[in-house]
Amino acid sequence: MFRFQSLDDDCTLEEEDGGLVAEEDEIDQFNDDTFGAGAIDDDWQEEHKRLAGLDEQPAVGAEGGGGGGMGRESDLGGVENSSSTHLPSSLGHHPLPSSLPSLNFSSSSSGLPPPDVEDRGGEGDLAESLARLILEADPAIAGVGATERPSPSLIATGASLSALHGLDRPRVLQQHSSIPHPHQPPHHHQHQLPPGPSTTGLPPGPPPSSMLSYQQQQHLLRRGPAPLGQMNSHSIWENSMGFGPVSVTPGLVTHMEDSPLMSIIKEVGLPKLPPQGRNDEGRDLSERVPPPRSSSPVIGSPPVRAVPIGTPPKQPMSHSLNHQTHHPAAVHVRAPVQHRYPPPFPERLSPNTLLNIANSPLCRGPFPPGVGPVLSQIQRAQLLNSQVAGFPRGGPLLPGAGGFRPFFGGPPPPHGHRMGPLPPHGPPNHTPPIRHNTTHLHPQHRRMLTQRMQSRGGDRGRTGGDRRSRDPYSNLMTQKEKEWVTKIQMMQLQSTDPYLDDYYYQNYYEKMEKRQERERDSSKKEHTTKLITPQVAKVEHTYRPVQFAGSLGKLTVSSVNNPRKMIDAVVTTRTDDEEKREKQVWNKRRQILYTVEKMYSLLLEVQDFEKRFVQAPEEDREALLEQHKTNTVQLCNSLRDKEWDDRVSDEQCVMIMSVRKGKRLISRLLPILPSPQATAIVMAIARNLPALAKKDKQDQVLCWLVEPLSAVIQSLSSSALTDLLQELQGSEGQLATVLHNKFGVTLLYLILSEGERMQSSDPNCQLMDDNRWTELVFSVTRELLSVPSSSLSPPLFTPANLLSLFSRYVDRQRLELLQNKLQISALSR
Amino acid sequence: MNYVPGTASLIDDIDKKHLVLLRDGRTLIGYLRSIDQFANLVFHQTVERIHVGKKFGDIPRGIFIVRGENVVLLGEIDVDKPCDTVLQQVSIEEILEEQRLQQQAKQETEKVKMQVLKDRGLSIPKADNLDEY
Repeated sequence: MFRFQSLDDDCTLEEEDGGLVAEEDEIDQFNDDTFGAGAIDDDWQEEHKRLAGLDEQPAVGAEGGGGGGMGRESDLGGVENSSSTHLPSSLGHHPLPSSLPSLNFSSSSSGLPPPDVEDRGGEGDLAESLARLILEADPAIAGVGATERPSPSLIATGASLSALHGLDRPRVLQQHSSIPHPHQPPHHHQHQLPPGPSTTGLPPGPPPSSMLSYQQQQHLLRRGPAPLGQMNSHSIWENSMGFGPVSVTPGLVTHMEDSPLMSIIKEVGLPKLPPQGRNDEGRDLSERVPPPRSSSPVIGSPPVRAVPIGTPPKQPMSHSLNHQTHHPAAVHVRAPVQHRYPPPFPERLSPNTLLNIANSPLCRGPFPPGVGPVLSQIQRAQLLNSQVAGFPRGGPLLPGAGGFRPFFGGPPPPHGHRMGPLPPHGPPNHTPPIRHNTTHLHPQHRRMLTQRMQSRGGDRGRTGGDRRSRDPYSNLMTQKEKEWVTKIQMMQLQSTDPYLDDYYYQNYYEKMEKRQERERDSSKKEHTTKLITPQVAKVEHTYRPVQFAGSLGKLTVSSVNNPRKMIDAVVTTRTDDEEKREKQVWNKRRQILYTVEKMYSLLLEVQDFEKRFVQAPEEDREALLEQHKTNTVQLCNSLRDKEWDDRVSDEQCVMIMSVRKGKRLISRLLPILPSPQATAIVMAIARNLPALAKKDKQDQVLCWLVEPLSAVIQSLSSSALTDLLQELQGSEGQLATVLHNKFGVTLLYLILSEGERMQSSDPNCQLMDDNRWTELVFSVTRELLSVPSSSLSPPLFTPANLLSLFSRYVDRQRLELLQNKLQISALSR
Repeated sequence: MNYVPGTASLIDDIDKKHLVLLRDGRTLIGYLRSIDQFANLVFHQTVERIHVGKKFGDIPRGIFIVRGENVVLLGEIDVDKPCDTVLQQVSIEEILEEQRLQQQAKQETEKVKMQVLKDRGLSIPKADNLDEY
């Protein structure tokens, strides 16, 4: 940076150059290898230096730049004048065998001593030298000399065509530089190479002129004259605005073979492509190959015009055109001041590009080293100027921003040399720029080139001093990128509930709108742009597992956003009532269990009493006894439903017996209970036998009760026994149920046998006092007989005296039946 | 073109000359070339402007990429507006020298202050370079 600032005069360049040529060559060569010759269309350093030097001119900034530019132009012209002397010397700098022309050339061009050029001013042989220069610059033309030709005319044709060939490829040439060596044939074949992918391949060798392909012609025309022609022949340059036909490059004629070529060119008069045709194709030149350099028939003679004078050019540089027409001091070497912004090279070839083209054959060596670089630094500067027309040369320097000055001088070179395809949607009134083949470039690079071109095209459309439009670095951020950032910002504004997320903004916005509504008349239809934040749809994202019809299970396709259910658990919601009921049931059961447990513990204590009593010392025995009594009482009490009721509660008993443990408990309890309570329990059992039997279906533990029950029964009085039997028969059908149940049958037998025993043992037994017993027995027998054998469950045991019992009450027939049924053998008596 | 009407966005500031003040106290002036969603900024032709008293100096810095979180404020510079400040531009060497002197003076006063506090048994911890905590 500082180096530019300190650049006082251009002489420093030449001083540096001598020693640095080789290094710069290498560096540039590496650059080209990396980026392709198309990437670096210029030697930015040189341009930078030069333009910085322009800025540093002591004159007024604007003028200084202009003057500098002018100086450069004049220098350029001067070079042409003395081309014959100058070129060889400069060419001598080059290591010719290099196959990378652009690099060498650029470096070589840097070595041109501008001051030398300034001295020359002769105009006499300007045209000639110019022509020579151009011709030399044209690789194809230069290469013509290297090819064999059958006949001069053919040769010339071939030369012209191959000129087209080579011309049309600045890209090709650059490609060559970028293509690794194996691809590159010897340079002298270069012009014979097929032009490139986008054009038809010409057969090697000089093709006839009639085979000029459309595209080639096009290219020729598009290319327009070399920039050098600018200075000396403005009339040429009018046409060269891009649509002029044959602005024949004056330099198409090598100084060796000028006559044949010139004659041929005069003959052929390269056809001009109608501008309309060009327009029809649209501005998109992406498929186009850069056209070859056009050639003008005669240097200095009015160019062939297909477009009449005064036709506004398509390019925006109409003012420049007018300048040219009105200032026909064409041949003057020093371009007039008005030409500060000479018409841009229509195809926007960078000077370096041209130089590259120009230099390629030179470097390839077929030429004598006398040919120097076509474009001196000054020429390049002028080209640059042309291309960045509109760019204020040090013009409105940013006030107060001194630091920017050096930078400001810098931009033009990269700006001028960035050429990319004009995007199809570019401003329609701009000249479609040349688009070199940028396929070898990195896509981003290509994009940048595109947008630079676009920006430049866009900038040119603007008149006036919009500084930003002249800013060559503008639009570094592409539209796409801007939209991308905007999109991200909008995404951050997404909200499912804007009133929740941004309450104040919403309110404020509503207020604003209302206010605007009020203030604005109904006639006014303008609507201020509204920010429409992206609305996020409130979508229910329920998981629905993917299933194929007829397949088992679900696919194991899950992701973060679509997790798979591991278990298809179904939630069963119970109604309140059901829940209550269930709860109640459970509560009751728990209560029963609790009671049973408690009673059990008491029971155990009671049953252990004996043991403890024996073991306990004297003094404790009283206490133990007391405790024992308490326990017993408690047990009894627990059987009662209510505290004040002495009777054993049926319900309680049943409840307790509904639990297996409860049955066990009762069976253990019965022996220790006092008689009335035991009796009561037995009664309860008998009364509720069906229920108990039903509940006992799972447990089948009623039979535990048999023993204690039998003990109790045996202690029963006759009335009690009768009552018991009655209880057993209680309700309708109860006996049947009883008989169904093993325990029931057993119980029944127990009762009967007890009754029988009573009767048989004690003649005073009151069992027969009332008929109840008899009746009951009768009903039992009846039942026993009526009940089918299958439903009669076998008892645990059959008391022996049953037969005698039955024999008392039933006749022989029935007795036999009973006997059979019940399998009471007479032996059991 | 207003990309997001009704909001503030840096999109419209692109390619304009801006002045940005960073958290470390530096002042940069440059053309804002690119932004991103974090308000990281790409400055072109950046100049660091150092102010000491009434003098200022510009140091050209080239291209800067500023991480968004380090920006204190950012404002567009109107290049068309006449610059009629009382500030006097000096060369870089001079301004750096001035800055150095300023820093030196500050350090010395700080030192004296710390000494005085220490004598009185007080201590104020130095914030060092923490500007947010």
